[in-house]
Amino acid sequence: MRPAWLVIRKDLRAELRRPQAMIAMLFFGFLLLVILDVAVPAGTEIAPETGAGILWVAITFSSVLGLGRSFDREKENHCLEGLLLSPLSPEGLFGAKMAVNCIFMGLAELAILPLFFILYGDAFLRSLPALALVLLLANSGFAATGTLFAAITAGADRNEALLPMLFFPLVMPLIAMAVRATGMIFAGAPLPEYSSWLQVMAAFTLIFTGLGFLVSRHIFRD
Amino acid sequence: MIPRTRNPEPVLITCTALLFAAAVYAVFFHAPAERVMGLVQKIFYFHLSCALVAFLSFTTACISGVAYLVSRDLKWDVLGAAAMEIGLVFTTLVLATGMLWGRPVWNAWWTWDPRLTTSLILWFIFAAYFILRAAVKKRQQRAAYCAVMAIAGFVDVPIVFLSARLWRSIHPVVIRADGVNMAPPMLTALLVSLAAFAALWGVLLRRRVRILAMAEQIRILEHRLDREPAQARRARY
Repeated sequence: MRPAWLVIRKDLRAELRRPQAMIAMLFFGFLLLVILDVAVPAGTEIAPETGAGILWVAITFSSVLGLGRSFDREKENHCLEGLLLSPLSPEGLFGAKMAVNCIFMGLAELAILPLFFILYGDAFLRSLPALALVLLLANSGFAATGTLFAAITAGADRNEALLPMLFFPLVMPLIAMAVRATGMIFAGAPLPEYSSWLQVMAAFTLIFTGLGFLVSRHIFRD
Repeated sequence: MIPRTRNPEPVLITCTALLFAAAVYAVFFHAPAERVMGLVQKIFYFHLSCALVAFLSFTTACISGVAYLVSRDLKWDVLGAAAMEIGLVFTTLVLATGMLWGRPVWNAWWTWDPRLTTSLILWFIFAAYFILRAAVKKRQQRAAYCAVMAIAGFVDVPIVFLSARLWRSIHPVVIRADGVNMAPPMLTALLVSLAAFAALWGVLLRRRVRILAMAEQIRILEHRLDREPAQARRARY
């Protein structure tokens, strides 16, 4: 457990000194929100479901930038080999990277959400606690799948464009469920109405976290 | 490495061709026209058969992915790649035949029904598999990554279906747990065409595995030839 914790601390500290992933995620998220706002005809009332869709497009696309960078630092100077020679197990490395990605996504959302409420109306603001639950579930699901594929694309040649192409088809159900649940939350539905979505989201997260731990040994070995 | 026994392929291909002739006969002459949809319904027999082939391919690819990760034997990677290739072609056919049927019957080329959504995402996963395959150079690495992709895709499909089922479905359900929902001659036609497509799948898979295995051998030979002059030169000096 301890080596994994050290990797998490290392990544957070490196990000604090030179914030590569966070800046990319935030800037891109902001840009997307503004572009989507421009794309909606001026003066139209944003329906709850549309608002949810806009929010998740911004979150999904900005998160893929952060995920793509999660193994960037390890590729310089053979750092990945170094990490694998250390007492840290491949499973521990996967867990640590997944936790870091989860934290980054959460932090980026802390900045993307206020801008969303500013641009698209603060009527959505009352649903914040329930929204936090959906975000937590979606973040961990994204982080599990994303870390798995970021590790794969780190070993491939054209990794910038490759990650979204591998990652999006697999997380499509998660995005669809998050949009549905968020739309219901924005419309003011009580928890039992969308709890089945949350359950499937939790199942998705658990399955892909398990898969990631199972195959991490094979991915990092090559 | 390629076994020099008697090649059973001509026999397999002849059987498949005969089965296909039987399937076409059963679908167009034995099975009656459907009361409401008429002739359009005939596409269903091929639609479901393509779906069967896609499913067989996807399952084979997942199993060979697991087998590769456990055994690290590249023959599993070749099998997985061959299955994925066939799966991509037949998922495309499933989507195409479904749309051709949906336009006159549902009055729409496309709806976001669970089965349609699942097939589409399946198609994306098949396609992504080949993008990944093209992007990784090292042989062992590519095999391991592709194996993971095939497994992840296979695991993903039930979740896609479950999440899409929470919406309402308009796709007809012909085969239920409590029986099959069609006239006996139609069932015969369906079974014959399923058998024909399953045989076609077997023939195609065999072919592709052989071709990919040969390509692999050629690659190894080329690699050896490239190295040999250098070694010979070194031996001289």
